[in-house]
Amino acid sequence: MALRITIDIFSGRPNPVLVLEGPEEKEALDRLRPEAELRGREVRPLPASTLGYRGLIVELSGRATRGLPKEFRVANGDVLAGDFAARPADPSFEEFVCGSTGPIRRISREPALSDFILKEIKRLDDLRDHWKPRRPDWPRREHCRCAPLYEPDWWNVPAIQPHNNCYNYGCDYRTDTFAQPGRAAGAMYTALTCASVRPAAVADDLINSPNANNRCPREGHLVALVIAPGLDYHWFRKGRNGYWSHKPGPTAVTNLDNSGVTIPDPRTADRGPYTQFCTFMVVMHGHVKID
Amino acid sequence: MATSRSTSESGWIAGAFIFSGRPDPTWPISSDVAEELVAIWESLVPSDDTASTMPALGYRGCFVRDPAGRTWTAFHELVTLSIDSDSETRRDGDRLFERTVLASAPAGTLPASLVA
Repeated sequence: MALRITIDIFSGRPNPVLVLEGPEEKEALDRLRPEAELRGREVRPLPASTLGYRGLIVELSGRATRGLPKEFRVANGDVLAGDFAARPADPSFEEFVCGSTGPIRRISREPALSDFILKEIKRLDDLRDHWKPRRPDWPRREHCRCAPLYEPDWWNVPAIQPHNNCYNYGCDYRTDTFAQPGRAAGAMYTALTCASVRPAAVADDLINSPNANNRCPREGHLVALVIAPGLDYHWFRKGRNGYWSHKPGPTAVTNLDNSGVTIPDPRTADRGPYTQFCTFMVVMHGHVKID
Repeated sequence: MATSRSTSESGWIAGAFIFSGRPDPTWPISSDVAEELVAIWESLVPSDDTASTMPALGYRGCFVRDPAGRTWTAFHELVTLSIDSDSETRRDGDRLFERTVLASAPAGTLPASLVA
């Protein structure tokens, strides 16, 4: 067993790598043991490609242990791996590793490296307090002033993501019940066809707008119903910048289609098995009731 | 990660990650199928590969959960066993584990194209 730590900080140079074994590894694992799960807004966003320090990449050889994933990142006292986020027993683990008396002394002959990294850790900490994800390919110009913002980070958290589906997201309405068209109105669909799901959504007070032609409504926001005939239905919603996003079942909100490209029009998007475009509808905010 | 072959007890559940609007389907599996899956798992070779990117819409893999909470997920030639926060991944080049899980679904539960 060994613990490999990559100090993710450089751009041109290779990042420094430490390998801890024996008592040193055991001490590190004790310090990294998750003590509290981080939830929702406790998980501060981490810039993926900032210049300078971006955290410690920790890899465990062999199988995962002590409640830790096999590979994770430690950044400003947070242990992060995909949806996993926790506060370790020692939130100062990075200072332990990179401080002048820490394991880093074994690999660096540059006395200033430790000071530099410690300053960088603080810089990243400040950056994360104010950083908001930016997606350069994602148009920011407002096309639909009444439409909801694209806020995947709000939906993609363990307390919300698995309990809300495409209908919740399309309606911008969190119920935590995996809402079904028509269920709140006692008129749930009876078949997985456009002819059955469409009136069920109308019973929830969505407004059928088959002629919307991808244009934003004056009030409310536009959604699109598509069908995997006999199997399932799916909803997309049009965002404030005119592009569409969606939440495939219990999975994460995304602004990409099955081909991995943004969605200017759901009628032409790669929708996988949802081959039948059913209709556009309008969600009037505060009018719909779903469950 | 060693696994017990004591699969005679009931309570094994299988399922597929496939739908968006409807809840994903789950179904109970027999002790025989559970034992077969454990045998397949134990024949697989450990892998450090990570799962390929899943499509946003449509089939995204399947799973089996035993009464003790151990969960196997299978997708695209990789099978991962998760116990609490520990996990181990093995390569299933023939997708035998995945195909066995999908084949155990009651008729009409999954699209015919998936279980063919």
